[in-house]
This record gives sequence, C-alpha cells and structure tokens, in this order.
Amino acid sequence: MEIATTRGNINNAVIDTFLSFRFELVRYLKSKRLLILGGLAIIMPLLFLLKTVNTASGFAVLALDVFGVFIVISAAMFTGDAVNGEFERKTNLLSFSTPQRRSSIFIGKYIAAVLATFFVIMLFYLTMTLQMAGLYGWGEIPAELGKSFLIALLSAAAAVGVVFFFSSLLKRTMASTIVGALFIMWVMEIVRIIMMVVGQEPWFIPTYSAELLKNVLNTESILDLAPQQMFQERIQERFGITLTFYEPELWLGIAVLATWAIVGFVSGMAIAVRRED
Amino acid sequence: MEYAIRTENLVKKYDKGFTALDGISLQIKRGEVVGYIGPNGSGKTTTIKILAGLMKPTSGRAYVNGIDVVANPIEALRTIGALIEVPGRYDYLTPHEMLTYFARVYRMNHNGIDRRIKEVLEWVKLSDWEHKKIGTFSTGMERRLVIAKTVLHKPDILILDEPVLGLDPVGIRDVRELIRRCRNDGMSVFLSSHLLSEVAEVCDTVIFLSKGEVILSDSIVNIGRSVEEAVLHVKFLKPLSKEEIEKLRTVELIRSLDVRDRTALLHYDGEPESSAKILKLLVSSNFEVVSYGMKSAGLEDFYVSVMGDEKGVN
Repeated sequence: MEIATTRGNINNAVIDTFLSFRFELVRYLKSKRLLILGGLAIIMPLLFLLKTVNTASGFAVLALDVFGVFIVISAAMFTGDAVNGEFERKTNLLSFSTPQRRSSIFIGKYIAAVLATFFVIMLFYLTMTLQMAGLYGWGEIPAELGKSFLIALLSAAAAVGVVFFFSSLLKRTMASTIVGALFIMWVMEIVRIIMMVVGQEPWFIPTYSAELLKNVLNTESILDLAPQQMFQERIQERFGITLTFYEPELWLGIAVLATWAIVGFVSGMAIAVRRED
Repeated sequence: MEYAIRTENLVKKYDKGFTALDGISLQIKRGEVVGYIGPNGSGKTTTIKILAGLMKPTSGRAYVNGIDVVANPIEALRTIGALIEVPGRYDYLTPHEMLTYFARVYRMNHNGIDRRIKEVLEWVKLSDWEHKKIGTFSTGMERRLVIAKTVLHKPDILILDEPVLGLDPVGIRDVRELIRRCRNDGMSVFLSSHLLSEVAEVCDTVIFLSKGEVILSDSIVNIGRSVEEAVLHVKFLKPLSKEEIEKLRTVELIRSLDVRDRTALLHYDGEPESSAKILKLLVSSNFEVVSYGMKSAGLEDFYVSVMGDEKGVN
C-alpha cells in the first residue's frame, strides 16, 4: 500500500514537473523570448558571411569565439526569472496554492530553461553547419563539430545552473539575470587571470572549461591576433607580470562543467523550496 | 465533528521578531460562510497564507477538510480554492491558456476542461476575453479571472482574501452572488475583507482579529441583535405636517423624535411589544407608512466598539 502511494506521489510529481515545464515553454514562446534569442542564434553565424578563413574548422572557431558569450546571455535570459520571478510577479500566489510541490514547479522551470538554451544552441550550430557547407562544401565540415556541440550544451547547462542559483538567492529578476551573467563572464574570468598570474591552472573555472568547444576543433582562431607568446611579453613588459597559459583537458573540463550544472541546480533548488514571501 | 477549516494555536513569527499570529484557534463548520475581519497587520493574510500552503507556521496546526496543511499540503490544497492578496498575472497568456494549466494541475478530466473554463468565465463575465492576452486586462478583469481560477476545480472550501479589491460596484455585486452560489452548492467560504458591509451581506459568522489574536467570534445575527438601538426608523409617503408631528409627540410610547422631510427617528424603550404598538398606532392614526424598522448601528459601529481606535478598516 505504501509502495503504491509512493509510486502515486512520484507519478504526480512527474506530471506536475511536465506541466510546469510546458507552461514555461509556452511563456517563452508567447513573450517572444525564444523567438528573439533563436533569431539571434541564426543571425550570428550569418555575420561571417564571407569566406574569411581558409578552412571550415577555422570558420567554426571564429564563429564560436563570439558564441561563448551568447550561451551565457541566453542562459541568463531564460533562467534569470525562474525562481524569483514567481515571487516578484506574485504569480506564486496563484501557483503555490495549488496541489503541486514547489520542487516540481521549479524543476519544470529549470528543464524549460535548459532546453530553451539548448534549442538556441542547436539553431546556431545548424545555421553554422549549413553555412560551412555552402562556403566550403559538406566534405569539409569537421567531425569534431559534433563534439563541440555537445560541449556547448554542457556549457549551457552549467550557465543555467549558475543563474538558477542566483535566481533563487536574489530578490529581483533583473539582479539575478545580470549578476548571474556577470559572475560567469567577469568574476570567473578575473579569478582565471589571477590563477594564470600565480601559475595555477584555472581548471575549475567554467569559462575555461567551455573553451573546449573551440579547442576540440584543433584550429587556432584568427581573432587570436596576438599569439600567446607576444601577449605574454607585452604583459611582462608593461606590468611586470608573467601569465601562464593553460589548455583545458577534455574529460576534466566536461566534469567541471557538469559539476557547475549540478551544484548550481541543487543549491538553487534547496533555497527555492524554502523561500517564503 | 470534522470542520472545513480548523487551526490549533497557530503561531507565526517572522525573522525580525514580529509575531503575526499569536495562538490562533479557528473552527469553521462545513457549509459555513465566515468573515475574517481585522485591521491591517492583524494577521488575516498570514492565516490565509498558512491555510493555502504558502507559508509554514512557527508552531501550531492548520487543517482543511481534516487534512494537515503542513504535513500533507498536496492533499489539503486539492480541496480548496484560494485567492490571496493581489496575485500577479501571466501577461502573455490568455485566460484559456492559464486556466487550462491550472485545470491540469488539479487533474481535472481533460474532456471537461474546455466546458468548465467557459462556465467559470461566464460566471465572472469574461467569456468574450477567453482568448485575449491577460496583459491587456484592467484591474477588475484581472480580479475576475483570478476568481475564476479559484472556483475552477469546484473546491469544497473557498478561501478569499479581499476578493472585491479593485472591482467596480457591478463586480462587487457579482462576487457577492458568486459567494452565495458557492454557499448554496455546499461550499464553505472563509472570507477576509475590509468591506464590512460585504461581510455583513454574505457571512453567517464573523471572526474579529487583532494583533494576531482572535478577540471575538459570533454569528452575524447575534452581532446584529447586540447593535440594535432603541430607535425606530420610519419612512412616510409624504413629508409630515406640523400637526402630524405634534400628533406623534403625544404618543406615550415615543420618548422623543427627530423628523426630517419624510423620515422620522422615533426613540422608545426598545421593547419589541412597544415597537408593535407604535406601528399599530401610526396606522390607526392614518399615517401613510412606507417603511418601518429598527435602526441598527451596523457592523461598522460594532467593529469600532470591539477594536477601539485601531486603524485599517474602510
């Protein structure tokens, strides 16, 4: 009897999570958030319409150089209001007084944010692949692009996890969206530079691990105008600081991104379900 | 006896040391319409938030339909419809989309959802807006939509926190009708309101709350009796002449009178027998009486007498 009740509870939780997920997706669609970010994901590779580099891999690395930031922005836009939005808009007064667990509501929202960000990434990679096929031919498309795509998805999950945590922690949606994005793009980058100065590999930094999405293509970006050595010399000359450059290892990077995704989600959930007005 | 709503020594203390509820014990019978009255900050919304699963009490217990709200919120919330404060709105959605979502959360039969949505939207006079964006709604329409959401799943218990807030007179009348309809359907209604006239119109019982404590609970009938004054309010067909006023003064049972145009306030000893005799005398003396009744001080005066000078009631 008890087993049947537990199973019933789990079934109900799964149904509620699905309902919350679908409701959130409808909201993304209706608010045109998905449309705008999806549109940008399609437009971005098209900005590199010209055959600016000689190889398809080089082209992909160039486009992905810009796309890293877009992943973080998309994650922040979809996740920034996942938890605090309910309290700020006071829609919690409608949804929390219904027979569903808060955890189901928030898990549904989290999944919606993850999948919406995945969808935007997929659009980007799809457009970029088609463009590469048009510019260089299908045969030139590197097999590693699939690996890069999977790492991009994992990076997105990590970014969503971080922003989800801030959405649970902070009161205002604007604050969590901005703080979440800046935490990843600035705070983590500053820590990374400090680590490089002290000669330690910044292995736990998500943006460092996210570089794998370019690195797996084994091609240098033409945006790296100043080769590392020259850059190092200039920094040494001007500030008297020696920077040590590192490259993330594939499996460690994957593990780091997965950890950020899980820790962000779990800690965000822990706060979200306890939160009161 | 299983109550629709029951609380036992409900206490809620906030982080900053403020005690919102200080041992509230309520017992609301099935099918009863109960008004929950008190000034701002007296703990009305806190009680309702605990009953609706939005907040956990610091101590004490709250039950709806005999189910512990804290221990078993899912089961408890299945049987209630709650309207709390002024909820936010899903601007980009239509009432149909929003209500469909909640109908599914309540596990309503899929085949009946569309029909039920049309029914509740008709009740709140939003039928023409079923597929229009909520973002374009006025405050009153928004309120009506939330009321529709509250009754969507035909709950056993309705918990309403200031339901007529932002509504025009027609909207207020419609909500009153809705509460009556719910009562006739056997629902229990727990109504928190600032509008005492509203409470007096629809409630069977009133609970007065002050500084997190219940200070009085009684039926509207009993409260009405206790506030009746020894004054008769009489309306005549035509304004009274000087002779007629003099004639009234000679009536022994009338101690004094105030006459203004077609209305007279007759002060007497307050006994029902005296009231009956005065009416008989008026009619036999050819006064054309249009209406005749005891002047009541009303719930508002009673509220002031119970609460003293506490602010926060309209």
